[in-house]
Amino acid sequence: MTKVFCIGCGLVTPVGNTPSEVLAAVRAGKSAFRLYDGWPEPYYASLLDRNGFEGPSFFDHIALQAARTAVQEAGIDASSSRVGLVLSTIKGNIEKIDTEDVSLAAAADTLAKGLGVKTAPVVVSNACISGLAALLQGVRMIRSGAYDHIIVVGAEVQSRFIVTGFQSLKALSLNPCKPFDADREGLNVGEAAAAMVLSAQPVSGNYFSGRDPKNQFPDTSTKPTHFSNWEIVDGAVRNDANHISGPSRTGEGSYNALRYVLEGVSAEELAFVNVHGTATRYNDQMEAIALNRAGLQDVPVNALKGIFGHTMGAAGILESIVSMKACDAGVVLPTQGFSQMGVEPAVNVSAQERKTDKKAFVKLLSGFGGVNGALLFRKGGAE
Amino acid sequence: MENLINELKLKVIDALNLDGMTPEDIDDNAPLFGDEGLGLDSIDVLELIVLLEKNYGIRLASPAQGKEVFQSVAVMASYVEKNRTK
Amino acid sequence: MKQVSIPSGASLTELYRQWVGDYPKFFKMDTLSKLGFLLTEMLVHDEPDRFTFREDRAVLVFSREGCVTNDRHYAESMKDFPSPALFVYTLPNIVSGEISIRNKWGGESSAYVLESYDEARIWELVRQAFQDKCTKSALVAWIDCTSDSEWLTTAWLVNETDMF
Repeated sequence: MTKVFCIGCGLVTPVGNTPSEVLAAVRAGKSAFRLYDGWPEPYYASLLDRNGFEGPSFFDHIALQAARTAVQEAGIDASSSRVGLVLSTIKGNIEKIDTEDVSLAAAADTLAKGLGVKTAPVVVSNACISGLAALLQGVRMIRSGAYDHIIVVGAEVQSRFIVTGFQSLKALSLNPCKPFDADREGLNVGEAAAAMVLSAQPVSGNYFSGRDPKNQFPDTSTKPTHFSNWEIVDGAVRNDANHISGPSRTGEGSYNALRYVLEGVSAEELAFVNVHGTATRYNDQMEAIALNRAGLQDVPVNALKGIFGHTMGAAGILESIVSMKACDAGVVLPTQGFSQMGVEPAVNVSAQERKTDKKAFVKLLSGFGGVNGALLFRKGGAE
Repeated sequence: MENLINELKLKVIDALNLDGMTPEDIDDNAPLFGDEGLGLDSIDVLELIVLLEKNYGIRLASPAQGKEVFQSVAVMASYVEKNRTK
Repeated sequence: MKQVSIPSGASLTELYRQWVGDYPKFFKMDTLSKLGFLLTEMLVHDEPDRFTFREDRAVLVFSREGCVTNDRHYAESMKDFPSPALFVYTLPNIVSGEISIRNKWGGESSAYVLESYDEARIWELVRQAFQDKCTKSALVAWIDCTSDSEWLTTAWLVNETDMF
């Protein structure tokens, strides 16, 4: 099976716009959470700074910014007929619902134009697992042989629409969220954009020849600028077939997705499982059940929503990028907000940073509509 | 109280899309949740919470409190009588 | 390869009574989910063991408009009393979820938004979904709703052997 590598990343988050800034923030437990006035109920969120922004759409702006950074790092020519684009977002430009076309297809078209992508983009809209599903879609597109590179972009901005919706579901906490904690009482919303460029080759176009992004067969005389051999090994999406907004009590879909990606893989190989960990009573309990059923009860678990909040369409990509960088740095990031085990059976989650020398991890997510997804990432050795 | 009970039944049927049901089909004291009841689920509880606020100005704190109040239409009616602000 | 469709504006309640009749949750569904639910019934109603849990069938729903009809309903309710029952349907993939729940299909389920009805693109994406080793068949549907009484829908039941 063709290997698929991540050769470029881009981030726009309230705690930084580069992987090193963001990693440092997570390690220091630094977030951008605060209480905001709502309509009228207040809500606790991690939002981006829109100060001074005057363009037509903040959503389009952050999606493009993250994507451009990833494309630049990857050193590819986005206008090539061998480059595809996948967008992940839950509500896109929903704030404009009274005045404009809020179809996600319009958002994808805007993004493609901004990047100069000539192939037709596709939007993966799979609730909160969209980012993960979009990455899996990118992997499949490369494996189909029709593309050399896929730009996968996830973005979400918060709005009255989304916030009041979650408030009506009583899913939000007015306090910093507490993944897996005994006193957890709900999630916090977040905003971010994150992008990856996936490739069938482990090197960026910039690697050997900074000036010729289409050079797939490098001239070895020039100095390398970027090399990455993080692989997305495989992924799976599975439905609980149970309820459209409540997770399965047996963690059915999550367990089945885990089982699929871990076939032939030992739990010992994993540095950690980065989970959904929204800090709702039901989600975290469901994940605990799924992890235990999959034999992962001793594998370190961590959750990032205590720093970023729930960034919805961006989550799968943002949390995967941060996880890759953490693994590179030899750490299992702390789970901000956790202090006392509040799920049964327990999972190996910690509020402290831990060390690891392992080079693979699983990204796990769940979402409305009964969907669950798992992706296996592995850092390859020299071939 | 009877008017209120009937009114509540109509509102519940409407809010929860209980197609084809009439107030006569709902026993005053029958459990609304669970298999013996109307088989309502977690989203239905949340919709009923909205129903109380929208029609009677009552704000419940949480879905957990909802489970108490929504045991049956009779229990709901009694709660509304005591707590309504409109 | 079986293919079905539901003409725009058809009475979904009538179709429900004709094809199903014993699934009251149908009435809580939004238009997208009702369409997906009914299209699926038309395709698999006489499949043996149809309610046995299975992981080998994907549910892939495509559209251009996504759930914009539902978005409008929720946005209306948001002005005074935001409705949780409306909010849960403001996602294009809930229809896939409703199909999975009804039929006990625990395989892959997803929703895609495309710029327009592009059959070649749809089949390209469906073929890619079969890269999942477990997936042996797929419920594929184009469900494009511009309002609660206007839509374009067509659906297929595809086996792996139809694809390659």
